[in-house]
Amino acid sequence: MPIASIINICLGLLLAPLLLGIINKTKAFFAGRTGQPLFQAYLDIIKQLRKGVVYSQTTSLIFRAGPVIGLASVLIALAIVPLGGVAAPLAFSGDLLIFAYILGLMRFFTVLAALDTGSSFEGMGASREVLFSALAEPALLIGLAAIARETHAMSLSQMLPAVSFLSPEVVLVTVALLIVYLCENARIPFDDPNTHLELTMIHEVMVLDHSGPDFAFILYGSALKLWVLGLVIIGIVFPASSGSFWFISVISAIGGLFFLAVIVGIIESTMARLRLIRIPQLLVAAGSLSLFAFILVLR
Amino acid sequence: MDYEIILWLAITIPAISGLICLLMPSPKAALGVMCAAVFLASLSGIFAICEVLPQGRVLFAAAGWLFMDALSAYNLFVMITVFCLSSVYACIYFKEEIIHKHLNVKQIRLFTCLWCEALAAMTVVLLSNNLGIMWVGIEATTLITAFLICVHVSRESLEAMWKYILICSVGVAFAFMGTLLVAASAKSAGLSAHNLLLWTTLRTNAVHLDPVLIKAAFIFLLVGYGTKAGLAPMHSWLPDAHSQAPAPVSAIFSGFMLNAALYCIMRYVPIIEISTGNTSWGLDLVAGFGIFSIIIAAAFILFQTDLKRLLAYHSIEHLGIIALGLGLGGLGTFAALFHTFNHSLCKTLSFFAAGRLGQIFGSQDMEKMSGSLRISPVWGIGIFCSILALIGIAPFALFMSEFQLLRAAVDKGAIIALILFLLGAGIVFVGALGHAIPLVWNDPQKPTARVKTNAVEFTLVFAPLAVLLLLGLWMPETLAQALNTAADVIRQTGGTTILMPGGKQ
Amino acid sequence: MNSAIEIMMILLVLSDMALLGLSRLRTCISIVSFQGMLLGVLALTMQLSAITPRLILIAAASFIIKGFIFPFLLRRGIREAGAQYEIEPFVGYIMSVIAGLAMLGISFWLGAKLPLFAANTLLIPAALTTLFTGLFLIIARKNALNQCLGYIIMENGIYTFGIVSVAEIPLLVELGILLDVFVAVFVMGIAIYHINREFDHLDSDRLNILKG
Repeated sequence: MPIASIINICLGLLLAPLLLGIINKTKAFFAGRTGQPLFQAYLDIIKQLRKGVVYSQTTSLIFRAGPVIGLASVLIALAIVPLGGVAAPLAFSGDLLIFAYILGLMRFFTVLAALDTGSSFEGMGASREVLFSALAEPALLIGLAAIARETHAMSLSQMLPAVSFLSPEVVLVTVALLIVYLCENARIPFDDPNTHLELTMIHEVMVLDHSGPDFAFILYGSALKLWVLGLVIIGIVFPASSGSFWFISVISAIGGLFFLAVIVGIIESTMARLRLIRIPQLLVAAGSLSLFAFILVLR
Repeated sequence: MDYEIILWLAITIPAISGLICLLMPSPKAALGVMCAAVFLASLSGIFAICEVLPQGRVLFAAAGWLFMDALSAYNLFVMITVFCLSSVYACIYFKEEIIHKHLNVKQIRLFTCLWCEALAAMTVVLLSNNLGIMWVGIEATTLITAFLICVHVSRESLEAMWKYILICSVGVAFAFMGTLLVAASAKSAGLSAHNLLLWTTLRTNAVHLDPVLIKAAFIFLLVGYGTKAGLAPMHSWLPDAHSQAPAPVSAIFSGFMLNAALYCIMRYVPIIEISTGNTSWGLDLVAGFGIFSIIIAAAFILFQTDLKRLLAYHSIEHLGIIALGLGLGGLGTFAALFHTFNHSLCKTLSFFAAGRLGQIFGSQDMEKMSGSLRISPVWGIGIFCSILALIGIAPFALFMSEFQLLRAAVDKGAIIALILFLLGAGIVFVGALGHAIPLVWNDPQKPTARVKTNAVEFTLVFAPLAVLLLLGLWMPETLAQALNTAADVIRQTGGTTILMPGGKQ
Repeated sequence: MNSAIEIMMILLVLSDMALLGLSRLRTCISIVSFQGMLLGVLALTMQLSAITPRLILIAAASFIIKGFIFPFLLRRGIREAGAQYEIEPFVGYIMSVIAGLAMLGISFWLGAKLPLFAANTLLIPAALTTLFTGLFLIIARKNALNQCLGYIIMENGIYTFGIVSVAEIPLLVELGILLDVFVAVFVMGIAIYHINREFDHLDSDRLNILKG
């Protein structure tokens, strides 16, 4: 059903920034505020796109390439993940590895761009980002491997619809992936996207020097990342097989994504940011959950 | 059946009189009750032993849960000897402590109570046919004797107690794991729930047990009970506990508690051997631990300054020797059992002497204790002769049992074991003699008055020495026969007939 | 039935991992208490078809002793000693969790090797993991309370192994075992009390007067 998968991609491109809006609305609700408009993220991106770019003289080509490659990577990832039981356009055997590493590529170029500025703050943020992602990556990969092993499939498009509903392994992997989700998208308890103190920032500090369309690309890229990783989690929790009413499962999956955004909002409202020294512990916990699930599947 | 009552008495007398001790108004009364309890329990024990050992009978009680065959009778005999001597000695030792106000009534009450309970627990170990109850008994001895170590509360004794209780509890927990594995294999062999852990049924059905499970079980058991028996490398609690405990407690630790743990291993040996098809897989493991213990103990004996620690390392060495004998099988088993008695008697004596001399000098440092012979000829002779016996000087019985062990090794062609054993014994010989000669013959560091000794102390020293000497020169026929029947329980080729009590099975 | 046991075993393993990774003593005690209650329930669940008074007695005894009395004793130890955290364990918390995962792997390997009949393939490995976790805590932590905790966890592992592989040990033996473990923890508690009074700390690494 190629049309369906193309529609799915378009839905992702359109709706991804909405997730940020939902998270912020939830947080505002819990804080008793009105909060930003639901479509604030769209407005931010449009505003940044209209602005001009400022490049520091010390930066090189890499600094300019970073946001573009980052957006390109996440777009490829979007084409790999299935939505609502509809096979993704780029589905092939082993695509889960590409999925994991294409996100790694995005991070790699963000980090390079940050280092390219020569700012000590950005270097610090880059080093933290690399440390945490190095710990989060095993959790993600082993978790996906456990699912792959359980469903005997190597492609996300085949894996996700075949997952057994809420078996113990799946619950373990879901919890692990949720932790990875929060870490990869720089949410509380790992990173506070609203902080303005450079010393405590991780992701935000890396993109301080970007401006104009470049920054719009970064904003849009991170919204898409929230979308694609969320799709994996939703795919595991609510395995939907595509029938003739594919749009119903697509709509329910998108509803699940919005629900996930609400959960993230709740987590952000109820938890404080962890001390930096605690973060590796939480990530190792996620990794051990994944590994435990993997061992359970292997037996 | 009368003997059923006797087996019960051997357990219940000390258990109940331990509680009575708690009610006694004065230290003297408490010690009196303790001695009376030990002697009464011993009497009933002796009565049963006389029935079992010469005739080779097997007594049962409590629907087959309690039993006494030659092996348990022999070990019970060793235990009774050690406990009787130690109880008499404890009276002397604590009289001194009370005079110097080191202990109050409350502590004495607690001590006498725990002493009796320890006797009861060890008797349970020896008499229980159920391997689970045997484990319970061993763990109970650990917990009961833990407080005996710190009768005097001090930093050192607390440290020793903590190490003792933690290491031994963990070790014994391993043994429990092994017991469970044995039970699991018995269950898969189709034994009923009642018979699951009965030694007699396991022994008769050993052929049907799963060898893989039994091997795994034996590793757990060996490590577990080996910890309690002080086999290297699980021995680290032993020198601390022995050096910090009051001398009578050290005496029962070395004299019997270690043997009780080794007795548990002895019980499992025939089951393991039969179920693994007589490949001597289990025996080799036991022998390996034994040799390792001998070597480790020999190395540490060289550098000791504390007399009781020196004796503690001797215990490790001798338990290693017993384990080696057990592992060699055949004549080795016989030698191991013989050595058990010799070592227990000798070690009891040496701890008596060390404790008494320690009281006289107010220290256990061997340098400060030099010249013991001048200060207290009786105890000086006691410590010197017992160390001589411990290192295996010729006319004493320990020499004989070690010699038999050598013969067993030669018979079996275990050349490496032979060489390592001789090496260890040689090092111990040199090391211990180097410590003992100055300890006894040098001039005292500071002039101290000669200490008088009474007739009881005199007997306590010379009676064991005389027995050791006698056994070294001539072994009575009855003893040899008793040892052989006991050894036959372990050697699975032996022809002990195992009978269940009438009507049961 | 089977899936209930499976979930219990997963919870058991997860609680092991949590015990390895957490540093607050109070939290650890709560987790051990949870483990104890879990095992009490497990003993009943394993034999749901044939519940006897004997079984109920054993399950209730272990539920109460392991779920309530041990935590009570340990919490009192904390109050007396004022120890909240393990200051500097021999092995760090992250490394402990990684070691725990290795132990989990080894347990699965061992569980496959042992020819034991078990209703569920997860039972034996979970029991062994708990056993190893307890042992690891005893070795890797310095605080005497933590070591005592390790002993209880180890005992929990063995208990699980017992209900899984044997399940038919006579009542007397089982009660004797429970009593022994109870007294062991009790004695350790008294020892901890004395150590704390005499030394003003519970650091077993600093109990080093006796050497050689």
